[in-house]
Amino acid sequence: MRTFTLLLLCLLSSVALAHDTPGMKMPREPALGASAAFDAHGRLWVVDAADGHVRLRHSDDLGKTLSMPVDVNAVAEPIYDEGENRPKIAFGPRGELYVSWSQPRVKPWTGFVRFARSLDGGAHFSTPITVHHDRAEITHRFDALAVDGQGRVVVAWIDKRDMEAAQAHGKPYLGAAVYYSWSDDAGRSFVPERKLMDNSCECCRIALARTPQGEAAAFFRGVYGDNIRDHAFALLPTNGDAPNAERATFDDWRIAACPHHGPGLAIGTDGVRHAVWYEAKHGPAIWYGQLDPGQPPRHVLKLGGPGASHADVAVYGKTVWVAWNQVDAQGYTLMLRRSGDDGLHFDAPRAVASSSAAVGSPQLLLRQGRAFVAWNTAAGFRLIPAEAP
Amino acid sequence: MHRILLAALLVLALPAFAHAGTPAPLSAGDVPALLKPPTRGVRILAVWALDCAYCEANMQVLAQLQRAHPREVELITVATDSIAQHAPIAAGLKAMRMDGYPARAYAEASPERLDFLIDPNWGGETPRTEIIHADGRRQGISGELTAAQLQKLL
Repeated sequence: MRTFTLLLLCLLSSVALAHDTPGMKMPREPALGASAAFDAHGRLWVVDAADGHVRLRHSDDLGKTLSMPVDVNAVAEPIYDEGENRPKIAFGPRGELYVSWSQPRVKPWTGFVRFARSLDGGAHFSTPITVHHDRAEITHRFDALAVDGQGRVVVAWIDKRDMEAAQAHGKPYLGAAVYYSWSDDAGRSFVPERKLMDNSCECCRIALARTPQGEAAAFFRGVYGDNIRDHAFALLPTNGDAPNAERATFDDWRIAACPHHGPGLAIGTDGVRHAVWYEAKHGPAIWYGQLDPGQPPRHVLKLGGPGASHADVAVYGKTVWVAWNQVDAQGYTLMLRRSGDDGLHFDAPRAVASSSAAVGSPQLLLRQGRAFVAWNTAAGFRLIPAEAP
Repeated sequence: MHRILLAALLVLALPAFAHAGTPAPLSAGDVPALLKPPTRGVRILAVWALDCAYCEANMQVLAQLQRAHPREVELITVATDSIAQHAPIAAGLKAMRMDGYPARAYAEASPERLDFLIDPNWGGETPRTEIIHADGRRQGISGELTAAQLQKLL
């Protein structure tokens, strides 16, 4: 009898183990990590991931209908596509389409930053390449993608090579680091990567924006002192100059945790650095402010408290928009505020859309001076105008 | 006889397998039961995520406490990742040697609504430790706890 019971338990546990085999292929709905952007002609493009492929779709009717998807990577591979991770899309000055994503490797938290380009309007893509020259099976992920004023393709990511090296020598190292690289040949190849900053947060997206001078600039969460999770701002030099990342928020939120909340950045033609970020020193809060690297931000405004998350920001002339998700027990509301005076004052918050289904992070997009919010929901992709036409 | 025993064992064993190590889905409707005060001692929710560098250390501190006070401390792991990721979640629990505890994983494709329902004063950072006392008191703490910090909370 006892033997029988043991046998039965062994059988049951083997069923349970088979069920849990890591890497087992499970069909599932596409995750909500998507990015959208308008090209120079006003066509909307959306990238997300499904069944191991980054898929590209476009829309010529402001998101009402999306085209059939084109696979960016012909050969399926694992793709990070949830939470703060999502495939990215950007455009070159001659209509090039650039797509980046992070590829999970076998071990937890590891990844490679991947990139492919299309020179024929999204019909075909190059074979994906790995952006970084370092090939260690460690964290290189949370990619961010931008094109600078010279047409260089700039990619930044979170990288743990310095943490791994420190640990190998028994030395402490808080967080990860941010590295970046760029392509001078329209995405055919990338130069060896440079370190932007030691001690970044491990699990928050990096925001990139272009300065009026055409440089790529980054705003990202760092780790200061004893696990203070404030943010840094840095230009990404492409001329051999050493980068200079400066602390740009001073909330002093001290925590040994992964916030899963990266910031947003938009830089006006006047050089004003409009930013949004999350911290929880006195409870969850998202903030708007104008970065003054080395000093606390100016014109700081609390956008939301409990249930507010994942803000984004856009600027056109003197008009600034901020959007974020507000959740309650019923579901999600997409919130929006607008400023007509370069962020000095904002209109009252407006609810512009709602969803009872799960939603991804909102993304503010500009098209001929008008703002839209790309909102990927479990019920489908939506493009919501920031104001009535 | 054996058939009856088999059926009885299956009935007894399946719910255990559905929880310990293998995450069971946590939907909005399940949250009130999860937050209901225990009849004695405390229930601790060890909230974690696949993408969390600090969660394993926090788990170990909570597990150590549970092992020291098995009758007073009920420990449940809650992954904020979607149950669609159940294979890596189960593998993660096993790697952290946390597969002996009842396990839940979010049944939604983005975590914010369930985060809010579990604790509106929590913004989703992990690890998160929710302590529910038998008398109805609640404490929620973000970040990796030390054993000494945890002792002070109880």
